[in-house]
Amino acid sequence: MIEEYRGFDIKSLQRPTPAPPKKTPLIRIRGLTKRFGSVEANKDVSLDIHPGRILALLGENGAGKSTLMSMLAGRLVPDEGFIEADGGKVRLESPAQAIALGVGMVYQHFTLVEAMTVAENVLLGQTDSFFVSPPHMKRRVAELATRFGLDIDPGARVADLSMGEKQRVEILKLLHRQSRVLILDEPTTVLTPAETRRLFDALWSMAAQGKAIVFISHKLEEVMAASDDVAILRKGRITAVMEKNDIRSKSDLARSMVGRDVILSVNKPPVELGEEVLGIDDLSGHGLKNVSLSVRRGEILALTGVAGNGQKALVEMVCGLETPPRRKLFILGERWRRFYARAPWKNALSYVPEDRKGLATAPNLDLVDNVLLTTRQGFVKGPWLMRSKAADATDGLILDYNVSPPRATALAKQLSGGNLQKLVLGRELYRGPRLIVAEQPTQGLDVSATEEVWTQLLKSREDAGVLLVTGDVNEALNLADRIAVIYRGEIMGVLDANDPSQVARIGPLMAGLAGTEE
Amino acid sequence: MNFDMVIALLAASVQMGTPILYATLGEILTEKSGVLNLGVEGVMAVSALGAFVVAQATGQPWLGVLAGGACGVFMALLHAVACVVLLGNQVVSGLAVTILGLGLSSFMGQPFIGLSAPGFTPFAFPLLSDIPLVGDVFFRGDALVYLSYLLPFALWFFLQRTRLGLEIRAVGEEPEAALAAGLSAERLRMIATLAGGFLIGMGGAYLSLAYTHLWTNGLSGGRGWIAVALVIFAFWNPQRAIIGAYLFGGVMAFQLRLQATGSHISSSLLLMLPYLLTIVVLAASAARGRGDEAPAGLGVNTAPEE
Repeated sequence: MIEEYRGFDIKSLQRPTPAPPKKTPLIRIRGLTKRFGSVEANKDVSLDIHPGRILALLGENGAGKSTLMSMLAGRLVPDEGFIEADGGKVRLESPAQAIALGVGMVYQHFTLVEAMTVAENVLLGQTDSFFVSPPHMKRRVAELATRFGLDIDPGARVADLSMGEKQRVEILKLLHRQSRVLILDEPTTVLTPAETRRLFDALWSMAAQGKAIVFISHKLEEVMAASDDVAILRKGRITAVMEKNDIRSKSDLARSMVGRDVILSVNKPPVELGEEVLGIDDLSGHGLKNVSLSVRRGEILALTGVAGNGQKALVEMVCGLETPPRRKLFILGERWRRFYARAPWKNALSYVPEDRKGLATAPNLDLVDNVLLTTRQGFVKGPWLMRSKAADATDGLILDYNVSPPRATALAKQLSGGNLQKLVLGRELYRGPRLIVAEQPTQGLDVSATEEVWTQLLKSREDAGVLLVTGDVNEALNLADRIAVIYRGEIMGVLDANDPSQVARIGPLMAGLAGTEE
Repeated sequence: MNFDMVIALLAASVQMGTPILYATLGEILTEKSGVLNLGVEGVMAVSALGAFVVAQATGQPWLGVLAGGACGVFMALLHAVACVVLLGNQVVSGLAVTILGLGLSSFMGQPFIGLSAPGFTPFAFPLLSDIPLVGDVFFRGDALVYLSYLLPFALWFFLQRTRLGLEIRAVGEEPEAALAAGLSAERLRMIATLAGGFLIGMGGAYLSLAYTHLWTNGLSGGRGWIAVALVIFAFWNPQRAIIGAYLFGGVMAFQLRLQATGSHISSSLLLMLPYLLTIVVLAASAARGRGDEAPAGLGVNTAPEE
């Protein structure tokens, strides 16, 4: 099977010089634990970082990769555990301290001054003379860029650069500060394939000159191509550390990444299937390839896969945020256009978005107004809004769904993620939907909130069909009747969640391997 | 209108434009750091009084200029404490500084109304004043006019070619990036706002020590507001501020002359001219889509790192 990677074969990429053997680690992470409220983002993590080697930190969204590296970069302070550098314990309480120690991180959101030149950005806060000379600055940055194979025009304005070039500027900033450990958070998500290739070349060049590189990713191919070592994080813990040469196949990686253990199980009584509520017929475009799916009333269909494989485009089309091609999408038996021409409030489609704080709610409005965002039916009389009636309904939802704080006058931003999600779910179910699209409904929630959300979703399928989009295989197994696995915009297979032999194929399918190969 | 009158009008334009130029440069420096100081009018009013009082008491015009600058720094400090330290709303604070400054200057200035102070008088600049036309227009002014010729270039050099200037621009554009580079947004914004206040204060001092040598109420006469608008007209570029300042100085001088000739046009209408031009200029700048030349972090308070 030939792996075609968006225009070129990523497997053909290989580090030009062999990685140096592991000797004394530059950084030793020992027993780091970080909690946000009751959620443990990292639990007892230990890891070594070696000079001259590229370590890939692999894990799903929310596995705790960024949290772990933010502690190393001084952005977060660990609750337990410590970090050793050069054989001694260090305290990293600010990015400045980390930089002084030689640890720098390139975040997903760049911190560059758009109106300034590349050279000015690299040297900002770094020059020691009172006067600055642009030609001199450009020369210094150009020398640095050439040394590490980062091709860039030092005189260009950052605003005119591509994402890949901006990333190179961020890397140059770290190199100029003599960073010995460079951490890159999901560096390839913003890059084109050609830029990805150039990034890898630069990483290898930096590694060959003794820098330690940590490369955060959830993309298996890239990890296989670029790294020397792979550490896998799952639910905040390191589940495996291996050298790349010891990895037998990608499906090995996929399995350690998504795991199989069941932390929670919920009672899933069978429900009689009804009519089709969502029909997708050979849908292509927006990164999707010939997707055909059907959801019937009474079932939960889980769409699972590693994030970024086309789930977002599919959800946006189903939920009316993007226009699908004609006659490919049917909602409640109607063509997409006809459905959205009316878009009824009640007994139709409810959407529980992944982005709770942006898309689903207005943070500065109170809970009543947030309920009114999608549900106005029953609360209006002519042009008048009957807010007191809506307030009563909100109070009901708060009670039924256990929302805390139990006050309708609280602002949405005062609620924790879990409580906000319960409110959103309550609001959407209040509309009595016949089709529910739930996107990563339990991401970032603690165990009890997860359980409540699961229970509600299971209950809702008595009257509705549910499309559950999740990257969490465990969630898919617990809730779904059928599981569709998506990979690079293609449905790799639709499996019966109750058949163990089919369930075993999920991991390989998520990694893009047709289940025959193991 | 004969040739001599044109020369006289142009020379008056330079003189009228000079206080606006000082104030505009001060506001450019302030805004480059991301702080919007709408209090220019009030700062100028207080500085004009401060400069006048000190010059009158000491007999030293240059001490008066320093005092004007110091008053500017003090008023800017009020704004900086409210916005940079306490992270208050910049627009509200700026308006408050204007109202406070105007009130303060007319209250404190009450005993000085009608008094005169030693100030700056025009003198022909050696050699340069002999250049035909140019010499007559530009080199028969006073010392503060000559100083104002150098300032835009000095400010440009400071912003573009010094480390501090680079850091101030960075914090005005992208406070987050500046923080990531280990810079203190608070410190840089404080420096720029206070230094800008000093320049605005010099503009105020010009009004009472060179433009008139008398103290009267309402000396600032809306020039501070024009300076705020001129910053946009100049696209935050110190050199372009020269053109804008003299253009407005020209309209003001023209309007005064027209009144003096006993024109039949109502003086109220003529007094509106500079502000009409302000609206035209701002609309034109906006139409040319140069509004996005503004420092990206202008008016955005930087919350301390969580």
